[in-house]
Amino acid sequence: MPRIPGLRRAFRLPWVSAARVQREVDDELRFHLDMKTQELIDAGVPPHDALQQARAQFGDIEYTRRYMHRTDRGRMLQEHRAELGDELRQDIHFSLRQLARNPGFTAIALITLALGIGANTAIFSVVHGVLMRDLPYAEPTRLLRVFSTTEGYQSAVSPADFNDWSKQSKTFSALAASATSTVNLTGSGVAERFKQARVSANMFQLLGVGPTLGRAFAPGEDAESAPRVVILSDGLWRGRFGADPHMVGKHITLDGYATEVVGVAPPDMRYPEPVDMWLTSRFTARELTDAGRGARWIDVIGRLAPGVPPEQARSEMATIARRLELQDPRHNTGYGVRLVAMQDELVGTVRQPLIILLAAVGFVMLIACANVASLMLGRTAAREAELAVRTALGAGRGRLVRQLLTESICLALIGGTLGLGLALWGTRVLVALAPPDIPRLYDVRVDGPVLLFTIGATALAALLFGAIPALHASAGQLASTLREGNRGSRTRPGSARARGALVVAEMTLALMLLAGAGLLLKSFARLREVNPGFAAARVSTFTVTLSPVKYETLDQQRAFATTLLDKVRAIPGVDSAGLTFGLPLSGAGFVLSFDVIGRPAPAPNAEPAAQVRMASAGYFGAMGIPLKRGRAFGPSDRNGAPRVFVISEETAHRYFPGEDPIGRTIQFGWTRHGDRLTGEIVGVVGDVRQAKLSGDLTPHAYVPFDQWPVDELTVVMRTRADPTVTLRGARAVVESLDRDLPVYDALTLDTLVSKSLGQPRFYLLLLIVFAGLAVVLAAVGIYGVMAYTVQQRTREIGIRIALGASAERVVGMVVRRGLTLAVLGVTLGTAGAYAVTRVLHSLLYGVGERDPLTFIAVAVLLALVALLASWIPARRAARVDPLAAMRAEG
Amino acid sequence: MDLLQGTLDVLILKTLSWEAMHGYAISRWIRQRTDNVLTVEDAALYQALHRLERKGLIESEWGLSENNRRAKYYQLTAAGRKQFRAEATEWRQYAEAVFKVLETASQ
Repeated sequence: MPRIPGLRRAFRLPWVSAARVQREVDDELRFHLDMKTQELIDAGVPPHDALQQARAQFGDIEYTRRYMHRTDRGRMLQEHRAELGDELRQDIHFSLRQLARNPGFTAIALITLALGIGANTAIFSVVHGVLMRDLPYAEPTRLLRVFSTTEGYQSAVSPADFNDWSKQSKTFSALAASATSTVNLTGSGVAERFKQARVSANMFQLLGVGPTLGRAFAPGEDAESAPRVVILSDGLWRGRFGADPHMVGKHITLDGYATEVVGVAPPDMRYPEPVDMWLTSRFTARELTDAGRGARWIDVIGRLAPGVPPEQARSEMATIARRLELQDPRHNTGYGVRLVAMQDELVGTVRQPLIILLAAVGFVMLIACANVASLMLGRTAAREAELAVRTALGAGRGRLVRQLLTESICLALIGGTLGLGLALWGTRVLVALAPPDIPRLYDVRVDGPVLLFTIGATALAALLFGAIPALHASAGQLASTLREGNRGSRTRPGSARARGALVVAEMTLALMLLAGAGLLLKSFARLREVNPGFAAARVSTFTVTLSPVKYETLDQQRAFATTLLDKVRAIPGVDSAGLTFGLPLSGAGFVLSFDVIGRPAPAPNAEPAAQVRMASAGYFGAMGIPLKRGRAFGPSDRNGAPRVFVISEETAHRYFPGEDPIGRTIQFGWTRHGDRLTGEIVGVVGDVRQAKLSGDLTPHAYVPFDQWPVDELTVVMRTRADPTVTLRGARAVVESLDRDLPVYDALTLDTLVSKSLGQPRFYLLLLIVFAGLAVVLAAVGIYGVMAYTVQQRTREIGIRIALGASAERVVGMVVRRGLTLAVLGVTLGTAGAYAVTRVLHSLLYGVGERDPLTFIAVAVLLALVALLASWIPARRAARVDPLAAMRAEG
Repeated sequence: MDLLQGTLDVLILKTLSWEAMHGYAISRWIRQRTDNVLTVEDAALYQALHRLERKGLIESEWGLSENNRRAKYYQLTAAGRKQFRAEATEWRQYAEAVFKVLETASQ
């Protein structure tokens, strides 16, 4: 019986059909029965009985037959599965060996992939945290922000409106109000300034947030007469009070008032913003009636009643708003209500830039994939001989494709893992770099959904860059490679074309990114050129807020302000100083409407209005805000002296066109102290930017600080000395005046200006990084293709040189091919950029989204990079030794 | 005498420990060795053979029989050989123990 051990295993077919298994079982049984019958015949049994006896002695043949068949099928399946596993193990092993054997290729591919996947994951983690993660409140999609609107602008809400809305609305199960400000904590340790939110008592219940310690506010605790209570934030409780478990029930001193701690909020309670504590709203009786309806300064949220769609709430609120217009036409004419999903409102303006960044980084990923695909194509071409031999030895096409895909997947997995590491680091860097006015940065972290994204990106990458070489290998030209001999002198036209197309695609995407980055860069430069309206250099500022207990009367506030300013002016190094409320670019301040005396009364809601600022004598000088006409405030503009105003050029321009505002008398409406402020305009000063450098100028009106004192005092100091030294002196001055008064927002005006550019700078920086990455990758791509072409054509180039082609001609020949690809890519990219830069519109300032200069500049830049990238391999081509080239290939 | 539960497997492994055999030969060999004392039903034998193959203790391939017919030959795998050694030892110990008890009882 001839048997070669192991031979059966070697030639075993991968799959045995069910029919064949059945046949083999039958053959085996027939053989047995035949042998048995023969044995019985030999023993003397008559032949016609023998078969029957053999069957009888066998037992249950039918059952056994079925049993054997079932068992064998099971075994086949098991073996088949094991075999696939074996192949996979082999493929992986082989892939890793291949990757290790080409460290250069592997390193470039892995770095490219890690950068692509890492950058994508990092940006996605930010996008997910800021835009997509659910707010940590009960049924967050049922929460709406409620705004007042007038003339299409949304504004804050007045307590009186809030009160009436709450009483009349049926579509909301509850409405809650909040307003943020700062508060002085004194008594235990150093006096410190903290952020507080004053909220209606139902805020915690409405959000569905339970305190981790103590209780939420009880109904009625937000009344003006109720005892003062506070809920601490988790951070404040840990940081300032050492996580004291007996904190509830203790009293702390806030702005001079003893206030009982009733609870500690969980760490993820961050509404209306991350504050240090929540106090109750304590609206005054006046604020809740028509008399106070004109002061709009609180934020309102609502929870939709079960089953109520937002549209129903919208129409009900419109009805209520109309009712209030009739009830109080003086304050509410033209005022409507606007409802916005809470999450949308929170994220607001950063949604679009973040999505643009995600798209940009997606482009980088595509370029990275194209690059790796091109590298793999080049390598597949170099491995054609190996692949052809394996085909000849019987490896099926499917098996080869599977092998190539395995290599891609191995690359992608390693690249993805490296990328994830990069993303963990990158996410931290991003959050650290991001300007603090991007909301919800605290919700950014690498977790489950982000990991899923990374896995998805990795899989997509493997598919993108793996499919092309695999498809190529299966295109069935391998046999001819073997037949014709692989001498390295042939370039498969298909492969070259595919790589060329990939390079063009890379250049296209890179140009689009570059155009975007160029536009943002130009816009940023324009923003930096914007005159903020003041001279920031060597000016520093700080703010204090007076406790209403210690400085109960306006005279006390005036006295403090005067003393403070005198002492600050005496600090060595201080040239001039002034006081204000509401610095430019800080976004702080408020708007009041006014009447011009002697003019017919304007229609309701069409009165002139201005940003009102308090300013002491010396403020304009210290800020470097130029006086245009008339005079600035002087020491004589005190309380009791005739009331005067200084207005900005924009105010003059808008409300006094063609006339001289100086000498005109204006009257402001309701003020915080209940009086109407009437006075004469004595001067016009230059415009300042109120909230940000971009955007329209807003009218301003300045009131002498002494004539309208406020408890929040912002001091500006123009200094000769180092501003930080001066600020230290200022802290000492404040401490000498009032030990319980914390100094905050101490910074230089340069910092203030720089802060206002935080978001544009952040987006610009990221887009430049991505565009830079894209250009480098595209350059590497074009370099790789050209280097490969030169290597493949060494023999041809050698012949050309031998026939007398000059070095310049050879360089030109190679560079021309590279440039052809580059020009094609740049052209397509410009067209693409032309089509999509519209999305940048809201991010651009002072530059069109199709700025031709920018487009030309980036196109030239990219073409130059491509030129350089193809020039290096071209130089190598020119140095080919014709003899060596021909001998080696011969 | 009928086979005790589990005996058949070890008998097959023993049989195959000499050389590769087809089912009929195994059946005949067991009958001869046990002097026809143990009757192995062919149905059970074939079921056991396929079960053992599925377990990877034996493997099969088609070859030519003594009378030049196509027959399915079984042989031990490395795992089967190991299993046989372990089971043989176990059986020996078991049989000795039972034997010892029976001897004691008859005294």
